[in-house]
Amino acid sequence: MFYIHQTSCISPQQTFYNTAIDDLETPVNNRLHAVEPAYNDMPKNSLRRMGKTARIGIGAAMPLIKQVEGFNGIIIGTGNGGMEDSVIFLKEIIEYNEGLLTPGHFVQSTANALASQLSLASLNRGYNITHVHRGLAFEMAAIDTAMLLRENARNCYLLGGVDEISSYNYKLECLDGWYKKEDISSGGFYSSNTTGTVAGEGAVMLLVNNDKYNAVAKVVNISTLHTIVAMKMQQHLQQFLEQHINTNIDLLLSGENGDSRLLAYYANAENLLKNDIAVARFKHMCGEYPTSSAFALWLACKLISGVPLPAHMLKKGDSKTTYSNILIYNCHKGVQHSFMLVSKTE
Amino acid sequence: MSKVLITGIGIISALGPSARENHTALRKGICGISLPDYLHSRYAEIFPAGEIKITTETLKSRLNITDNSVTRTTVLAAHAFEEALDDAGLSREQLTSPNTALIGATTVGGMCLTDELYRDANDKGMNSPFLDSYDCSSVFLYLHKRYKMNGLANTVNTACSSSANAIMYGARLIRLGMVTKAIVGGADSLSKFTINGFNALHILSPEICRPFDSNRQGLNLGEGAAFLVLEKEEDARNKKVYAEVKGYCNTSDAFHSTSLSDDGEGPYAAMMGALVSGQLQASDINLINAHGTATENNDEVETRAMRRVFGEPPVFTSTKSNIGHTLGASGAIEAVYSVFNIINQEVYPSLHFTDIDKNIGLSPATTYGKLPIKHVMSNSFGFGGNCTSLIFSES
Repeated sequence: MFYIHQTSCISPQQTFYNTAIDDLETPVNNRLHAVEPAYNDMPKNSLRRMGKTARIGIGAAMPLIKQVEGFNGIIIGTGNGGMEDSVIFLKEIIEYNEGLLTPGHFVQSTANALASQLSLASLNRGYNITHVHRGLAFEMAAIDTAMLLRENARNCYLLGGVDEISSYNYKLECLDGWYKKEDISSGGFYSSNTTGTVAGEGAVMLLVNNDKYNAVAKVVNISTLHTIVAMKMQQHLQQFLEQHINTNIDLLLSGENGDSRLLAYYANAENLLKNDIAVARFKHMCGEYPTSSAFALWLACKLISGVPLPAHMLKKGDSKTTYSNILIYNCHKGVQHSFMLVSKTE
Repeated sequence: MSKVLITGIGIISALGPSARENHTALRKGICGISLPDYLHSRYAEIFPAGEIKITTETLKSRLNITDNSVTRTTVLAAHAFEEALDDAGLSREQLTSPNTALIGATTVGGMCLTDELYRDANDKGMNSPFLDSYDCSSVFLYLHKRYKMNGLANTVNTACSSSANAIMYGARLIRLGMVTKAIVGGADSLSKFTINGFNALHILSPEICRPFDSNRQGLNLGEGAAFLVLEKEEDARNKKVYAEVKGYCNTSDAFHSTSLSDDGEGPYAAMMGALVSGQLQASDINLINAHGTATENNDEVETRAMRRVFGEPPVFTSTKSNIGHTLGASGAIEAVYSVFNIINQEVYPSLHFTDIDKNIGLSPATTYGKLPIKHVMSNSFGFGGNCTSLIFSES
C-alpha cells in the first residue's frame, strides 16, 4: 500500500521528543492524557485559540513539516475532533439564550479545523480531507492515502490520526457505558472482568510515499469490517490471513482494552494465528479512542525499527529483538473492526 | 480504468421529498426558502431557511423507523438513500455485497439535537436515547446497519464541501477497482447549532438569498439529503444510466478558516484539477453549478477564479437560491441537480438575481432554457479552505 518514512507521536507516553516507552505512564481517574510538548515553534496567539485536537495534531506534525521540502496533501482521521468546541459553543447558545456569540468555538467545532490549520501551517494547497468515521476514521484516511499514491505514484502525503478526551465526550461515553466505573489506575487493566475501559487520546503523524528506499516500514494491507457477530469477524480475518499466507507474522498488536464485552473478538484474533506468534497489547499506553489504531501503527513502526518491545506490552510469547511482520487488530465498540499488516522493508 | 456511472438518484430538500418534485420545482423556478416552521430557535423568526416542511415523526413513520435514537439528519439521509436504491434497482444481494461501499458526509450529524446534547453533556437530567447518535458517523453507521450492508463504509466531514468529497471517494474506489458499486451522498438538517454559528459569523441573510447579485446580504441555511448510486461501467450494462462522474479534484485554499483567498487559489486549483482529471478542456464545460452561497466573499472570489479558469465563464447558476445552503448535503444535492441538467439538456433559473455586481461583472442564468449540455462542473467550497470541484458528463 505505502511506505512510512517519518513518524511523530504525541501520546500519554513519552513518545514525542524521544521514545521511552519502557517507563509507563498510568491513567489518572481512568483517563490517559497526552503528554504535551512545549510547542515552541507554534505562535502563542494561535495556540490559545486552538482546541486540543488541533494543538496536539499540529504539534505532532510540526517536526515533519519542518523536515521535508514539501508534501502533496493532508489526510486526517479523527473521531472526536471538534467535539469539545462544539459543546462549548452549544453551551453558550443555551446559556445566553441564543444571544450575541463570538464565532471562535463554532469555527473550531468543525472536524476539519485541524486539517485546515495544517494546510495553513505548511502552506499546502494540495488534497485536504478529514475522515470522521468513528473507530475507522484513521483507517479510512490511510486507505485514502493509499489510493492517492496509486493515482499519483511519485507523491508524498501527510497522514494523521488525532483525537482528544474532551470533558463532554468523556461524559457522554460514560453515560453510554464505555468507561469503567471502578478506578483501575493501580493496574489490573486487562484482568478486570467488568465492562468499559479507560479513555485516551493522542496524535500520530506520518509521512508516506511509494519509495522503499530508507523507509521505516511498509503498510502492506488494511482491511475494515462492520459487524457485531464474532464469527463474521473471524471469517474476515481468516480471508485476510489467506491473502498473506506467505508472510511470517511474528507479532499481533491487539487492541484489547479491558472491556469484557470485546474479549471474544480479540480472543478470535489470537486463536486464528499460529501458536508461536507473540501477542502484545497497547491500550494501557494510549487508552481507548477512535483513532487509537494510529498509535498502534506508530508503535509497529518503532518495533520494526528496533525499539525493544517493553515487557508491560507482552501478553503471550517471547519478545524478540526486532519484528518483521506485525498484524494490528483493533475493534471499536464491538462494531468496527480493522486489520493492518505492517512489514519491515527489505 | 473503469468509467464511473450514475445509475440511481435520491433527494429530499425544501423543493420536495423526491427527485421528481425537485426537478419540477427547478424547472418552474420555485424557491423553497421561507421562515422556518419547525426549527426551534429564536432566529427562526428572523432568518429564512430552506426547511423541509415535513416533521421528523412523519418521515420516520413513512420509512418505518421506530428506533428512538434516530435523529432528523439520519431520517433525511434514509429517505434519500431509499429513493436512490429503488431508482437504481439494486437487488438485496447487490446492496449487501462486500463490493458495495457506502460513503456519506454530514457536518452537523446528530448535533441537530442541540438541546438534547446540551442536557446529556452537562448532566442535566435523564440520559436521552441519543448518546450514540450525536457524531457525524452515526448517520451512516445507522444506514449501513439498517440496510444490512457489508462493504466499506466511511464518513467525511470537510464542512460545506463534505458530500462532494464523499462522491469523489466513492468514484475513486470504483476507478481503482476496490469496489464495484458505491452509494455516495450527504445529509444535514437545520439546527439551532448551525444557525447560531453562521449568525455569529455575520453571514446569514435576513432576506431570501441572492447569489451573485450586487445587493446580496449573505446566505440562507437549508436542509436536505441526496444519494447517488455509482456503478462501474461493466456492472451497469443494460441499465438506465444518468451520467458519468468524469472528473474531480480536491484542494486546499490554505488562506483562512472562514473566507477564501482574494484570487481564489483553492477554487481555481480545484476547477483546473477536475478538468485535468476528466481529460477535458475548459471550453468543454457547458454549465457550472456554482458554489454560489450569496456571501460577499464567496461569490466574488468564485467568479474571479472562474474567469481565471475559463476566461469568459460558461453559463452558471446557483441552486442555493432555491433551497438555501444545505452544508454537508449540498455537494450531493447539486450533483443530483447536475444530473437533471444533463438528462434533460436544460438550465434552471438562478433566482432572486437583479443587479450585476461591479466587482463580479457576470450574471448567472436567470431564465429556464434548453441548452446542449455534455459536461457540468459542480463547485463546493468549505470552511477551512476545503475546495472540491466535480464534473458530471453525458454518458
